[in-house]
Amino acid sequence: MSWILQNLWLIPVLPLLAAGISALLKRPNRSLAAGLAIGSMGASFLLSCAAFVETLGKHGAASRQVFNFDWFALGDTVVRLGWVLDPLTAAMVVMITFVGSLIFIFSVGYMSHDENFTRFFCFLSLFAAAMLGLIIANNLLLLFMCWELVGLASYLLIGFWFHKPSAAAAAKKAFITTRIGDVFFFLGIVWLYSETGTLLFYDSGRGCLEQDALAKMVAHTTIGGLAASSAIGLLLFCGAIGKSGQLPLHVWLPDAMEGPTPVSALIHAATMVAAGVFMLCRIFFILDIPGSHALEIIAWIGGFTALLAALMALQQNDIKRILAYSTLSQLGYMVMAVGLHAPGPAMFHLTTHAAFKALLFLGAGSVIYACHHEQNIWKMGGLREAMPRTWWTFRWGTLALCGVWPFAGFFSKDAILAAALEHKNIPLFVLGVFVAGLTTFYMSRLVLVAFCGNARSEEASHAHESPGVMTWPLVVLAVPTLLAGAIGLDAYIAKALPSEHPPLNEGFWQNLFTPFNHNILAAGFGLLAVVAGYKLARALYVNADRDSLPEKIGVLAKLARDRFYFDELYEWFISVTQETLAKVADWFDRWIVAGFLVRGTHGTTELVGRALRLVQTGSLQTYAFLFAAGVVLVLAWQLLGKGGGH
Amino acid sequence: MNASLIVLELAVVLLGLVVLVQDWFTPAKDRRTLGYGAVLGVAVMLLYSFFAFDGTETLYAFGNAYVMDGLALWFKRFFLLAALLVLIMATEFSERFDAGQSEFFALILFALAGMMFAASANDFILLFVALELITVTFYVLVSFLRRRVESLEAGVKYLILGALSSGFLVYGIALIFGATGTMNFNELADKLANNAALGHKQLLTAGILLVLVGLGFKMAAVPFQIWAPDVYQGSPTPTTAFLSVGSKAAGVVLLMRLLGTAIPDLAFNLEKLLMAMAAGTILYGSLCAIPQRNLKRLLGYSSIASAGYLLLGFAVMNKAGSSAVLYYLAGYLFTVLAAFTVIAIVVQEAGAEDISSLSGLAQRSPLLATSLTLAMVSLAGIPPLAGFFGKFLLLKAVIAEGVRWHAYYWLFAVAVVGVLISLYYYFNVVKAIYWSKGGTDLTPIPVSLPTKFALLVCIAGMFWLGLNPDGALGLAVEAVKSLRLA
Repeated sequence: MSWILQNLWLIPVLPLLAAGISALLKRPNRSLAAGLAIGSMGASFLLSCAAFVETLGKHGAASRQVFNFDWFALGDTVVRLGWVLDPLTAAMVVMITFVGSLIFIFSVGYMSHDENFTRFFCFLSLFAAAMLGLIIANNLLLLFMCWELVGLASYLLIGFWFHKPSAAAAAKKAFITTRIGDVFFFLGIVWLYSETGTLLFYDSGRGCLEQDALAKMVAHTTIGGLAASSAIGLLLFCGAIGKSGQLPLHVWLPDAMEGPTPVSALIHAATMVAAGVFMLCRIFFILDIPGSHALEIIAWIGGFTALLAALMALQQNDIKRILAYSTLSQLGYMVMAVGLHAPGPAMFHLTTHAAFKALLFLGAGSVIYACHHEQNIWKMGGLREAMPRTWWTFRWGTLALCGVWPFAGFFSKDAILAAALEHKNIPLFVLGVFVAGLTTFYMSRLVLVAFCGNARSEEASHAHESPGVMTWPLVVLAVPTLLAGAIGLDAYIAKALPSEHPPLNEGFWQNLFTPFNHNILAAGFGLLAVVAGYKLARALYVNADRDSLPEKIGVLAKLARDRFYFDELYEWFISVTQETLAKVADWFDRWIVAGFLVRGTHGTTELVGRALRLVQTGSLQTYAFLFAAGVVLVLAWQLLGKGGGH
Repeated sequence: MNASLIVLELAVVLLGLVVLVQDWFTPAKDRRTLGYGAVLGVAVMLLYSFFAFDGTETLYAFGNAYVMDGLALWFKRFFLLAALLVLIMATEFSERFDAGQSEFFALILFALAGMMFAASANDFILLFVALELITVTFYVLVSFLRRRVESLEAGVKYLILGALSSGFLVYGIALIFGATGTMNFNELADKLANNAALGHKQLLTAGILLVLVGLGFKMAAVPFQIWAPDVYQGSPTPTTAFLSVGSKAAGVVLLMRLLGTAIPDLAFNLEKLLMAMAAGTILYGSLCAIPQRNLKRLLGYSSIASAGYLLLGFAVMNKAGSSAVLYYLAGYLFTVLAAFTVIAIVVQEAGAEDISSLSGLAQRSPLLATSLTLAMVSLAGIPPLAGFFGKFLLLKAVIAEGVRWHAYYWLFAVAVVGVLISLYYYFNVVKAIYWSKGGTDLTPIPVSLPTKFALLVCIAGMFWLGLNPDGALGLAVEAVKSLRLA
């Protein structure tokens, strides 16, 4: 057993320690808190690299190593926890610690004027600890605990500026909405446990992702002819719906942009929201059980999320909200890929997306910082001269997100489109290409409006480039944004996942052209969509002072701007269900419980008390009579009545 | 014959006589010192009881009429401690008597002697004499505030009803003697064991029931509770305190002797009656206490309810129940005496006995407020105070019998309802201490050193019994060993 496997737990525990220590720090200990957080994250990054190297040379089953231990025993039931080191884990921990470190550094600049600086880094470290724990967990229960902890950290960080009512409301919304998914997720976990008797993923043949347990679930059908595997798979997927913002629980993610921008970058773009996709890939063997129909549903939910989110992004004006809807849309891509039996491309896209979306969010943060917290793109403009470093890196991020060759996003998106074609799922392929076009359109709109043209506000015209502590992370993130596509990451991740045509790593230069050799149709249509989207955006938004799109597409623009009325629909739904229920409960409590039961009992008791009191007349004759009557009663009871032992 | 067994009783009587004689030589303004002298004397006797007796063996005196065993010793110490605390209270209170302070102390001591004899009664004669010693003394104690019409009224009521109950008691004793030809508890038990037919004699049953009437009167159990509220309210507060602790406990120990020593084979026949009496007493006391605004009357009803809980321990007819009774009584002693000590002072300050005279007490005297609050919380049966474990043990004994006969579950339910109701009126008192409006008089209430000592003893007792139930329960279990119960 290798050293790194035995000590893999250090990766989440180091940030946890940092969180614990900085929770005890006072407000003025700013540099110590930041130092602890960045230091622990850096150390975790080094450990993650060691873990990555450990998995590099291995193939097949050898690339997965697990370490299990007994947590506690209840009677005969031993609850075992553990961690797993495989390419999936290694890729994720490296990505998270790398992006996380950069975002932590960026935060030093971004949060420099905030008086709760230490608390911010405490929460960030807590989040990192939970997220890393979720990744290395070799037990669905441990994964769930960390899953809930990232939810908590997300809540704390979205509501970091809780004195703003909108931030407090957004934090609650995020927490409650994801909780809906988590309830079903937990039901799925419990059901899975009752079917397989274990929640360990890998346990030398006895884990729930291994052959014996999967075979048990194959033939098992439940009510209504639904296969148990389908039901469990869909319940587990509900967790991902909440966490990864899939339809219909996507509503919390755009609102979560109320949090500080580094938080949006780290949690609501790069890492936490991807946890749902990661979880689906981790448990892919359960979803993929023969006879299960879970994957078909997953594919369509992902596809629709990608489409609707992209449409909503068209008409947003807040720079962070555009990116948020774009995140939803990309997550939809990933989930769709999982549904298309292609978890490898899903993870590939997750990894590259993490890099370029973190870059985009940090770039947006830099812009917002420069424009004195102005977030409306129509009040920006002309920033490309004022902020050259931000402009260059942001443009690279945009190119990657749109899927322009040779940026990283092109390769991962192409892999998903190719998977749709290979599965002969033409509707989803068309949908994917269309969304790629939309993506290019709204991202070009963002760039053209915010960075090009003339400054449209006082703040924008006075904008300066952000300090180095903020721009250098952008530069560093730009590197994987450009290169991550062709370094063979897809082949590396595919080792951990089932795949029909595992991608091969043929060297960087060869990899650059693989998509065209492999499936020219997917690559061609993808690039065509990009060109079309860019052309349209240019026509509408070069030097534009206002958005002319609503005039062209009419009602669709209004629908997109109003986010297809999901929030209103939910509000209405809650008002008819929950509010009605609450009113009924209130009535019941007020009249039946408090009124009839409590007051009734109290009134009766008091009445009896007052009535009995009348016996105590104070008259001695009455007392003597009652006393004698009592004697007679006792004698009669015992001598005439049913006295004696029973 | 072993006259040395009654050394404690003799000492108490002697102390009472000394107080009376010393009164001649003490100027009126110094008479308080006589009270403190009596306190000291009782304290010495209490200490002495631990050296002179250990209660492990059963000893008899006066032709088996007097018994000295664990139970007797437990109750003698109980009465001595109660008298000690009451005497401290009485000494504080004695300023309100125009004359006869020393007589008041002496009468308390004579009543104490009666109670201590009652604890050792093993014969109907001694039972009757001891009870009469207590009752006759209390006639005077109740009406001691001769200028107050309420006190006199209470005295008359207690005298007449007490005489009535004594009449029934002595009639019952006569019937028992007529049926069995013996007055001695041991002999009676032997006769009943050897002659089953004797137990079915209606005459004997009637006699036992009439004795039960007399004891029920002392305990203030339904249907013989009628005197308690009026007498409690009208008596001087120290008398009320001694009545509710000492006199009630005397009834308890005699009932325990009667059921456990004299008629153990017949006791079972009284099961239903005792259950009914327990349930009725709990409900009557709890329900009637709800509308009360007079503090002493409220405690009078509370005392009736307590008699009901004590009867639970008798209804189950076993040693678990009996030891629970002792435990409950011990907690009751500290709790009720703390309450009455505070009430005596507050009533003296406010000149009224209404519950509203407690308003502002928390500011006026934190010690008094704390003591009374703890007493109420303990009476309500809330951990970690003594009252909780007392009620807990009694209810546990009841529910354990439920397996034998389901009616015990109903009895249990009634008792729990009683506890719930009692929460209401006890917490009304607590509410009056801390949250009542209109308490304009916020001058501090001075508390004398002996009273502080008494209150601290009571608080310590409440906590000791509540936090260390094992030790106190061990003593109680030891004490009821000599009873011939299951």
